[in-house]
Amino acid sequence: MQFNLTAMIDVVFLLLIYFMVATDFKVGEEIYRMDLPDRSQSNQQSDPFDLDDEPLRISVASSGFGILRYRLSIEGPYPQPDDFEKLYNFLQERQINEFTSGGLFDIDHPIIIQPTRTTRWEHAIETFNAAVRARYTNVIFAPPQ
Amino acid sequence: MSAIYKRGNAEVRANLTPMIDVTFLLIVFFVLVSQIVEVENVDMNLPEPVDALTQPVGEDQRAVINVVPDQSDRIEGYRVGTNQFPYGVEGVEALTEHLTTMFRMNPDMVVNLRADRRTHYQWVEPAMQAVVNAARRTGVVDMSARINLVVINED
Repeated sequence: MQFNLTAMIDVVFLLLIYFMVATDFKVGEEIYRMDLPDRSQSNQQSDPFDLDDEPLRISVASSGFGILRYRLSIEGPYPQPDDFEKLYNFLQERQINEFTSGGLFDIDHPIIIQPTRTTRWEHAIETFNAAVRARYTNVIFAPPQ
Repeated sequence: MSAIYKRGNAEVRANLTPMIDVTFLLIVFFVLVSQIVEVENVDMNLPEPVDALTQPVGEDQRAVINVVPDQSDRIEGYRVGTNQFPYGVEGVEALTEHLTTMFRMNPDMVVNLRADRRTHYQWVEPAMQAVVNAARRTGVVDMSARINLVVINED
């Protein structure tokens, strides 16, 4: 006596194809590592001769729907960037390293990103990315304004 | 009577048993993987920064906080695994307590934060603050506690 397996194999292959097509492995997902905001403060050794670094504060606000509708501003006497690329260029040019002259900020200079309450997450992330791309290591988000 | 003793031409038959075994294993694999992915990751449009300098998702022990968007500008709440937390003071406090428990069980845990690209920062920030508070309550702030911001990087 032999079983006719044809029907079962048909069904099994259909199931296999369904799960292969329906499964989404989220291949494109990657991460930015961000230290907890108060970690650096709690770790700091207080050196009486060490001057506090005034953090560079970058505000970002969404001005409508869409990736291109946003406003950036840097607190202080700096040229104001129109877009994320110019913000990246500014941060890179002002970094103290062997390739640039006239740098102002060390690689671990504190950078605070200050979104508003209604800033879209994509604009906050683009601002964060500009600082990370410029190789700054101490970038955190502030509570919403 | 076995086929080998039949008279006439020999009959060629494929032995299907290994193929069926492998196929069932594949089905079990895809069923399990699709369930795990669904539980951990809510379907949403993550930000896709230009020229992103990101890192691959590591193999660390992690909790994934999903800031679940709704159809309007608001959010449905926060989700960690199968646990739902509504937006608001009580929901964020419950999320903090849940994360505190997870940090106590595994102080080296990292937290992945997933939020839709359209979600307003005012709904995302409480989740970050919950991680900070949970880490502070368990005393892991000085250790390797950190937040991973999840984005799409197809480059």
